[in-house]
Amino acid sequence: MNTERIQELIAKYNAAQADPVELKLIEKLIEEGLIDLGELHELQALDERLDRMTLPAPSMQLNDTFYHMLAQEKKSAAGFSWKAFFAWPDFAPRLAFASVTLLLGLAAGFLLRAPGQQKDEQIGRLGEEVRDLKEMMMLSLLEKESATDRLKAVSLTEDMDQASHKVTSALLQTLNHDDNVNVRLAALEALKPYVKDSKVREELIRSISKQDSPLVQLSLAEVMAQLQVKSSVKELEKILKNENTPVDVKKKIRESIQVII
Amino acid sequence: MEALTDNALMLKVKDNDLDKLGLLFERYKRPLFGFFYGMNKDAELSEDLVQNVFLRILKYRYLFRGEGDFRTWMYHIARNVNHDHFRKDKLKAKDSLENWQERLGTDENRSTEYQKDEELQLLSMAMDRLPEDKREVLLLSKFQDKKYKEIGEILGCSEGAVKVKVFRALQDLKAVYRELEKHM
Repeated sequence: MNTERIQELIAKYNAAQADPVELKLIEKLIEEGLIDLGELHELQALDERLDRMTLPAPSMQLNDTFYHMLAQEKKSAAGFSWKAFFAWPDFAPRLAFASVTLLLGLAAGFLLRAPGQQKDEQIGRLGEEVRDLKEMMMLSLLEKESATDRLKAVSLTEDMDQASHKVTSALLQTLNHDDNVNVRLAALEALKPYVKDSKVREELIRSISKQDSPLVQLSLAEVMAQLQVKSSVKELEKILKNENTPVDVKKKIRESIQVII
Repeated sequence: MEALTDNALMLKVKDNDLDKLGLLFERYKRPLFGFFYGMNKDAELSEDLVQNVFLRILKYRYLFRGEGDFRTWMYHIARNVNHDHFRKDKLKAKDSLENWQERLGTDENRSTEYQKDEELQLLSMAMDRLPEDKREVLLLSKFQDKKYKEIGEILGCSEGAVKVKVFRALQDLKAVYRELEKHM
């Protein structure tokens, strides 16, 4: 259909002269988009008046019921669910927070560890100082007149993991020259852990002939037998030859010599 | 700051930011109430139906995809709410005549309250005398700003078909209006 015919139809409609057949045609043209509703003036005016027609507003009651319903829904939506917990928009910040906290923890641990090393060093130094102090105390106690003090000094070496050369020579000195037999015996006992040291061993052998106490002699003979020190036999035989040596002691020393040989 | 679009707000509601529904409610409570009131002339019932629309929006928020227009989606729901209500109401058909008379009475009272213009009052009365489907399409046209494509989505027909429906409804309205004019 040409434009002229359409315009003619519109004009006829606007003049309220369109017949039912033409009205059907107009409907068809409207559906096809060839006639715009705005072109039908009377209807357009009616439509505009319809738009101006105001309708009443709802009461405040509607607001109350709506916001009450919303609050109820929010309350029920706030309930915990794993699905909601792992929902990405919420989960992402949680994950980020957890990661940052973990990293901070690790960083704090690392930073606190560094002074810890210093502490270990300090403790090590302190331990050394205590050992030095013990040595000094032991050496000074060994020079005391009281046999009890000297025994204490000897027993102090038992606490030491690794006695210094100074300590072993002090103990040997005590073994050879102390007046008290018990102190000498204690010194011999304290020297036992260090017999692997060849110097200590030699000094112990040399010490055999220097001893006049049968108890110390016997103890020394036992140590030699334990260690299987063959070079000590000569020194032990010297004791056997000595006339002052008691018979029992000689017998024990002979047994020890048998063990060594 | 530019106000958030309806669709942006509804997508937030979909993501459980329920407070945003309050903003949509403030935007649409009046037009929705107007639509229902235009359909049933019962203010109390219209408020209930508006409430039902928002209840359904909340319930079915996960179905909103954000592809179409929110307003179109909302009027689609509104139409269903209206139909569901009157389907139930058919059971009470006996009461309907009394209701109708009551409504007509209140209608006139209300008219004088809010409709100063005599012409518009007559138009309102003419609207009330239109069949429901015609009244509906005119109200949708009014509240959807003549967006016939969107109205077609609500009514489930083509844009052209909506235009024809509007044309026919306006034709009928014109006829009823003239009839009423004669009796005035």
